[in-house]
Amino acid sequence: MLNYTLALFLGIAFGFSLNKAGLTRYHKIVNVFRFTDLAVLKFMMTALVVSMTGLYTLRGLGLITFPNIPATYVAGNLVGGLIFGVGMALTGF
Amino acid sequence: MNWFRKQLAKELWSPYTAGVLLGVVGVLAVWLSDSLLGASGAFENLAGLIGKAVAPQVFNNMYFNFIMPAGITWGVVLLVGIFLGGMVGALLSGTFKLRFNDDAQWKATFGPQAWKRWVIAFFGAIVLEYGAGIAGGCTSGLAISGGMLLAPAAFIFIGAMFASGIVTTLLVYRKNY
Repeated sequence: MLNYTLALFLGIAFGFSLNKAGLTRYHKIVNVFRFTDLAVLKFMMTALVVSMTGLYTLRGLGLITFPNIPATYVAGNLVGGLIFGVGMALTGF
Repeated sequence: MNWFRKQLAKELWSPYTAGVLLGVVGVLAVWLSDSLLGASGAFENLAGLIGKAVAPQVFNNMYFNFIMPAGITWGVVLLVGIFLGGMVGALLSGTFKLRFNDDAQWKATFGPQAWKRWVIAFFGAIVLEYGAGIAGGCTSGLAISGGMLLAPAAFIFIGAMFASGIVTTLLVYRKNY
């Protein structure tokens, strides 16, 4: 139950950050592909850098162990990503 | 406190600030729940749940039993939270409104009809979710959550996603790209 409560609150913070970054709008998502508004990239890369630093620091301190790392299978990741990009550019989600 | 309240009421933050918030959420998810922030997987959990109720034989396969087990998972609760969080953000900035299609750029590109937006969004979302299913995650579950653990899969996915996204937009916008 605690875990589900955590999920709910983490989700709220996640959704809130998406809303404040403007990523709930069609034009924000599509314009990153037109190079006219790079908010998506700035948002994603900042999140990546912050969480990478945090996670590797915590692991270095021995406070956490990593969960299952998403599997790498080049063909699947590549083809999936290519299909995903089409959907993302069309819908703006 | 006043400053804080003013920030909450702002419609848009700098993407860097919002990114820091998401980064912290990503760390907390691993630290407190030992989970990754995935959104697309939750749709598959839900689809499995509905599928098992409607056509149990068809959905009694390896995918919906083991790879993406049907049921109310951690990810499904997270998804509900994402929805609520987006709503909280919009309510705080006073931009909350039921919209059917009011993105100016969309209208300028495809025309003002709301049904067009809904049809393209529906089929586009199927394409998107299918791609996420093959790749093993979406922008949040694979690109960000995988990337923060330095999974090679995430970076292959990000590259592929941007490549095809750029080509698709190029085809959609043509001269106006």
